[in-house]
Amino acid sequence: MDSQLFHIFRNTPLGRETLLQSIYFSKQTNASLNIYIPKFIKFLMYFDNDVVQVDLDESYLSSPDTALDRVKNLVESNGLSANFIEPKNFTASTLPDIPVNFDFMCSPRSISDLTSKIGLGHIGTRVRRIVQSAKFPVLITTPVYSEWNNITVFFGGSHNSIKALKLGIRLSRLTGKELFIFTQLDGKKREHYQEILEKEELQKEINLMVTKWNFYGSKSFEENLYNVPHDSLAIVGAYGHSVIKNIIFGSKMEKIQSTIQNNFLVVGPNYGQVS
Amino acid sequence: MRKLFSLRSPSRWFFFRADDRLLLILMGIIVGICSGLAALALSYSLETLLEFFHHYSQHWWVFILPAIGAALSSFFLNYVLKEGAGHGVPEVIYSVSRYGGLIRLRSSFSRLVSSCLTIGFGGSAGPEAPVVMSGAAIGSNIANFFYLNDRQRVTLVGCGAAGAIAAIFNAPIAGMIFTMEVILGEWSMVNIIPIAIASVAGAETSRLLVGNYIKFSHLTLNTNFIDMVACFGLAAVTAIVSILMTRMLRNMHHVSEKVKTKPWIRAAMGGCLVGLLGFQVPEVLGEGYHAIEAMVQGTFKAGLLVVAVAAFAKILATSLTLGWGGSGGIFAPCLVIGSFTGLAFHRLLVIVFPEIAWVNEGCFALLGMAGMISGILQAPLTGIFLIVEITGSSEVMLPLIAVSSISTTLCHYFEPASFYVKDLVEKGQLLRPGTDERVLTDLSVAELLEFDCVVIKKNMMFREFIEVVKSSKRNYYPVENEDGSFAGIVYFDEIRPYLFDTLMYDAIIIEQIVDDKVRVVNYTDDLSEVLKTMDNNGLYSMPVVSNNRFAGMISKATILDHYRKELKVQTT
Repeated sequence: MDSQLFHIFRNTPLGRETLLQSIYFSKQTNASLNIYIPKFIKFLMYFDNDVVQVDLDESYLSSPDTALDRVKNLVESNGLSANFIEPKNFTASTLPDIPVNFDFMCSPRSISDLTSKIGLGHIGTRVRRIVQSAKFPVLITTPVYSEWNNITVFFGGSHNSIKALKLGIRLSRLTGKELFIFTQLDGKKREHYQEILEKEELQKEINLMVTKWNFYGSKSFEENLYNVPHDSLAIVGAYGHSVIKNIIFGSKMEKIQSTIQNNFLVVGPNYGQVS
Repeated sequence: MRKLFSLRSPSRWFFFRADDRLLLILMGIIVGICSGLAALALSYSLETLLEFFHHYSQHWWVFILPAIGAALSSFFLNYVLKEGAGHGVPEVIYSVSRYGGLIRLRSSFSRLVSSCLTIGFGGSAGPEAPVVMSGAAIGSNIANFFYLNDRQRVTLVGCGAAGAIAAIFNAPIAGMIFTMEVILGEWSMVNIIPIAIASVAGAETSRLLVGNYIKFSHLTLNTNFIDMVACFGLAAVTAIVSILMTRMLRNMHHVSEKVKTKPWIRAAMGGCLVGLLGFQVPEVLGEGYHAIEAMVQGTFKAGLLVVAVAAFAKILATSLTLGWGGSGGIFAPCLVIGSFTGLAFHRLLVIVFPEIAWVNEGCFALLGMAGMISGILQAPLTGIFLIVEITGSSEVMLPLIAVSSISTTLCHYFEPASFYVKDLVEKGQLLRPGTDERVLTDLSVAELLEFDCVVIKKNMMFREFIEVVKSSKRNYYPVENEDGSFAGIVYFDEIRPYLFDTLMYDAIIIEQIVDDKVRVVNYTDDLSEVLKTMDNNGLYSMPVVSNNRFAGMISKATILDHYRKELKVQTT
């Protein structure tokens, strides 16, 4: 079965760049593009255990007359075709419900807040909520279109990072791109991480698919992050902590996304869960 | 961390694993108390605001107050909380019917504040729908916090609604029945017990904080046979008024939509008209419970014509308030209009039949309220039990049953759906439990896909195809073009004539026998629509095509198989 990528189109230069990222991802992974051109400033996404209201910023509604043509031109010039999502259900007359049964979603770092914050490594609150609730991973793109030529999975041994690794393997197989694993040792031995993978019965696949497993122990995590290839798709598992929890406990995901400017595929806590 | 998760997942605890009823009862108590507190908070805020503005009621500029309130309310809802406006109850019914009771957290307080602004400044609306919305949202979010499943969440949504109604009217039975009749639309044992307990919790919270106060407990309600006969007339009148109100509310909404301006300006315009109307008929302002008390106690001295005009003025004022963007519900206006209608009907009876000793006019005002609630909500039991509880007496039970039942029936004849669900029914979005649509909504095309069919190329020779047929168990074969796009289907039945003619094996290519006009299904199609297409065209399976590529087959047998499983999940 082919996979489905969900994209919300923004009719601005930034929106064009994000759409190009979606098109590139679709071409690489053979995913079908599902594009929503918003007609309302807000919409709801009903997940299994949460309902997320996405309040788009005003730029999403700019020049709606030209939006459809622009999307079609961009998509078709890349040899793809897109399915345009028209909301069927409305919670209120100006509040459509958008389906959530996709395999991926592409989003810039922020869809509700000021886009100027994107350059500062800020991930918007709505994007965080979607990551937290969605069963699909969210592709958080760079502000300017950039192709990725290999895949780097951040693996720290947690349940979510195992899910991220499985996704990395799947994507590597699908795209034929090299797969790297990034592990910050954090005082533990390499064997510790290898044992985790053995328990998950992933060792065989790792040997087969992974080009290089990079272990870093000497420098700080932030410094080591600069070793990640700039043209790599970074796959990260995230718990979807709130901002307060992140401040108190810290978050690897936050450090990664604010240090390197790669395309990210963020795997949330509900990724892969069966209803 | 794992321990914390375990604490938040009580449904996994050994104690509740076998039977979750006790868990739902415990949760119901929490939800009932919270929604009761929310209801009391709104009630208290409204009283304070109304009392504050009462001092200014003699000033000429007072007509502007409902406009300010409605504008603030609309601004708060649309710009501060960015929540789509609405009465509240339809949104709760919608979420129960489509999304297992998922309601946004902000809804647990948004309508409380907005309706407080609308009603407190004099807008004609009721606080009951906002507290129902608030209670339901509290229930939903508590269920989410504890990772409860859809069925359990729906029950807690019901608990919230019941607790809120029970607290605001001090009427636990009415709260429970309103929830079962209007919100959930089903009477199942699994739901009734927690909802009843939540009702009790809500009512007890109210009694603890504001006292066990029965509004009309001292009324004498000894009706006789002739009053009973008159009830049939009253039921017909309340049904007519209910229909009028339903249509006026809806039409006013359509009228206001034509005024292309910002929502808060539109709400202010409606509020201004309500304020002007309030100059002539002050009873139309606010929730109107003072007028009800006067009518029920027999101290409302205005004549028949004034009472009748007041009823219509209240309908107009409520339509202007809610239809133009104010926030609030129709429950309290229904009670006010019902009591006006009952009172007017009583006065008419006294004029036409002066020799008959009719029961006191307060009784007819109460019966009018029941008739109106039953008519507009098409919920006769809610009407009956609400009146029984707010009078603390069952003496008037027989006329109540008569008025409520007849009013509901007559209304149903002209307006098949109640005011709350009319929009949902028109859009095909009301999916009551146990219906085909409800079950199928939880299934998607993607999860029913069958992949065990062999895809063949359009330029394949028939001889090669025979080999494919030999190894396949299916009697249809999806066909692809060279570029991988979907070309159609080859049905085994249609190739049978060529099967026994070996000369044809090298003379035919698949392109010649493929059915390229075949109906296809998309991932986003509703399964009920897919089933309908299959039935109408005598099909047993259809290809699913995504972005012009064949994705798999979907068959009636698989749909029905999953339907059975889903029905089990939804009903146990």
